[in-house]
Amino acid sequence: MNKKQLLAVSAITIALSSGSAWAQEKEVTVWSWFVQSTMQKSIAAFEKTHPDIKVNYTYYNYSPEYVTALKAAAASGSLPDVIGLQPGSLTQQYRDNLEPVNERAAKEWGADWAEKVFPVNRKQMLMGNPAGDENYYIVPQESQVLCIWYNRKLFDELKIAVPKTYEELKAASKALTDAGHIPMFQGAADGWQNENVFLMLANQFSPGIVDKAQAGETPWTAPELVSAMKAWKGLFDDGVFQQGALGAHAYPTGAQLFAQGKVGMMALGSWWMQESKFPPPLSEFVQSMDGFDFFYMPPVKEGNKASPPVGGIDIGYGLTKNGGKNDAAWTFLAELTNGVGLQEALNDLNDLPAFAGHQPKGDITEHVKQLSARFMEDLPKAENQRFASPAVAEALDNALAGVAAGSLEAEAALATVQTATEKALAAK
Amino acid sequence: MHVDTLHAGRPAAIALRRSRAFNPTLYAFALPATLLFVVFIAYPIVWVAGQSVYTKSNAAEAIFAGLGNYRSVLTDPTFWIVVRNMALWGVITIPVQMLVGGLLAYFIERHTNALRGFFRTMFFLPVVTSVSVVSLVWVQIYAPYYGIAQEYLKHVGIVMTNSAIGDPKTAIYALIVVNIWQWTGFSMLMYIAGIANLPSEVLDAARIDGARGWRLAVHVIVPMLAPATKSLLLLGVIGTLQTFPIVHLMTGGGPNRASEVFGTFIFKQSFVLGDTGSGAALSVIVLVVALVLSLVQIALLGARLSPAAKGRAS
Repeated sequence: MNKKQLLAVSAITIALSSGSAWAQEKEVTVWSWFVQSTMQKSIAAFEKTHPDIKVNYTYYNYSPEYVTALKAAAASGSLPDVIGLQPGSLTQQYRDNLEPVNERAAKEWGADWAEKVFPVNRKQMLMGNPAGDENYYIVPQESQVLCIWYNRKLFDELKIAVPKTYEELKAASKALTDAGHIPMFQGAADGWQNENVFLMLANQFSPGIVDKAQAGETPWTAPELVSAMKAWKGLFDDGVFQQGALGAHAYPTGAQLFAQGKVGMMALGSWWMQESKFPPPLSEFVQSMDGFDFFYMPPVKEGNKASPPVGGIDIGYGLTKNGGKNDAAWTFLAELTNGVGLQEALNDLNDLPAFAGHQPKGDITEHVKQLSARFMEDLPKAENQRFASPAVAEALDNALAGVAAGSLEAEAALATVQTATEKALAAK
Repeated sequence: MHVDTLHAGRPAAIALRRSRAFNPTLYAFALPATLLFVVFIAYPIVWVAGQSVYTKSNAAEAIFAGLGNYRSVLTDPTFWIVVRNMALWGVITIPVQMLVGGLLAYFIERHTNALRGFFRTMFFLPVVTSVSVVSLVWVQIYAPYYGIAQEYLKHVGIVMTNSAIGDPKTAIYALIVVNIWQWTGFSMLMYIAGIANLPSEVLDAARIDGARGWRLAVHVIVPMLAPATKSLLLLGVIGTLQTFPIVHLMTGGGPNRASEVFGTFIFKQSFVLGDTGSGAALSVIVLVVALVLSLVQIALLGARLSPAAKGRAS
């Protein structure tokens, strides 16, 4: 055999052997908007325990990239095996492209697996399903609880106590403003943060009322919701939110200012804890979350109680029809939501687990452990923060912006939400 | 007619017939461009037009709706807010960009020497800057209390009490300002190209005839830059109808839809609300509007969009 023949035979042998190795390795494709660095840790942990499966993760910004990519892929039948989902409207838009996970989940985690999911998450998993459809199309990975975070170092410095009443909240905002800080940063150009604050207010007037309104059981023009809408306007008029809030964005502007200690309070959620896990340099406030603590919105009207915890699924995943043909896809999804993948996300303090029985481990300070434990204590009793219909959420976003800008009265604004709700319910 | 004359014309006629005969090689040259056009332009247009007569929300089956989506879109008050915003956008941005861009081009080309490249680059920089960066910076500029503009205004005793993009009355104008800031450099570049191509003998002749300064600019240079102006007008109208990223990133079409434009409206209908039928109907409407406006412009102003085209046409 001459040199050329030897080289050719060697090349073919190498190609065939590596080809057979590739053929043995299963592959799972995943798309999501989930923080890339955390997802890579989850994937690394998964691949370590499942060396025969390779996960290809594609990260997208949520809007417009992710939502447009999903739509295009669904239209062309080329969705990946696993997709990131939010409960309600996003899941419902792709229900036809998703596999129900009930049987797989029961086989994986036992027949009572759904009982291990926090109640508010379980409710959201079925949100928007047609009547009688008890299938789950989304498996939640993480939960969240909404709250008002505050800079406790600033509060100490300015001798401000955690507000227990609306008057105290106004006084705290004034003290912060007078000292040259932003009182409560509201990115009111983003609908999501407005919805969150409104949900805190509405559930304070009557727990669960927004759920009833979106189900058509209570009109959006009910007195409690009108009062909540007026209280929402009050947050702008009373100087609780910063001036020009309607043109501001929570991310990145608000979050950066808050992390730098220029903001006193911000309506965010349990996910804020992850700031302490981001790469250095970190501010003295963010370092180990030393500068932060949280409270719930104090009663905005005499006789009210402070807002109850509001929250639910932060992110979940769905198994697509394509993924249904790939056993490795479910294996990954199960580990990501309730196994080694989830544990990595929790260790990164990305948010709270969706299944009971998990907690963050590793390099976490006592203060963060306490914060996490308080959220976990409140999660089982949290009110729902999600909307079944995107049209209702969109109408509420517009109503909140209109009222805040002074171009709509509370009653008229809520009437538009009622119209959108009736239309959505009729179309269901 | 003399027979010889008739015979003399025969070879030419045969050659013409041959050239008109089917020649697959010649058609093959047109094939790549035709394929690209069909796959990436014609097919998507036909597909979207097809989608516009069906309704499909969430996971429901697609149902034939005829012109229902068009009726629903045209009776939606938001559609008319969008039409108003688009009209304002076009009427303000196109002439202002052309005027400022033209003036910048004139002064840079006529009154700068050593720093010409520097000025050209500086004024063109916003055009090549990412829209995300532009949006972030301008949101900060508009922010009252802690914003960039406020930092300077406070030295002259001015306190901004509101954000221009947070007020429904001013949001669209605030976005228009950003768009003008970003795209004026493009108008400038087009005019610089036009000025560089002006025949020097015509300008010399005008100067000998006594045209100087303002008269030279208005009566000689501006008319000779007409092809660049027409191109900018056509591109400006199409660009107006395609507006999306600045609005999406800065206001999302709000507050309360006050700054909605066709791009954000279509995006919301199709991708946020999942109402692909309405989104497709809106897209078809925008396509028709763009087509009509382009045809009207070509009919009124002619299709000569560059001096070279003018030469060929004549």
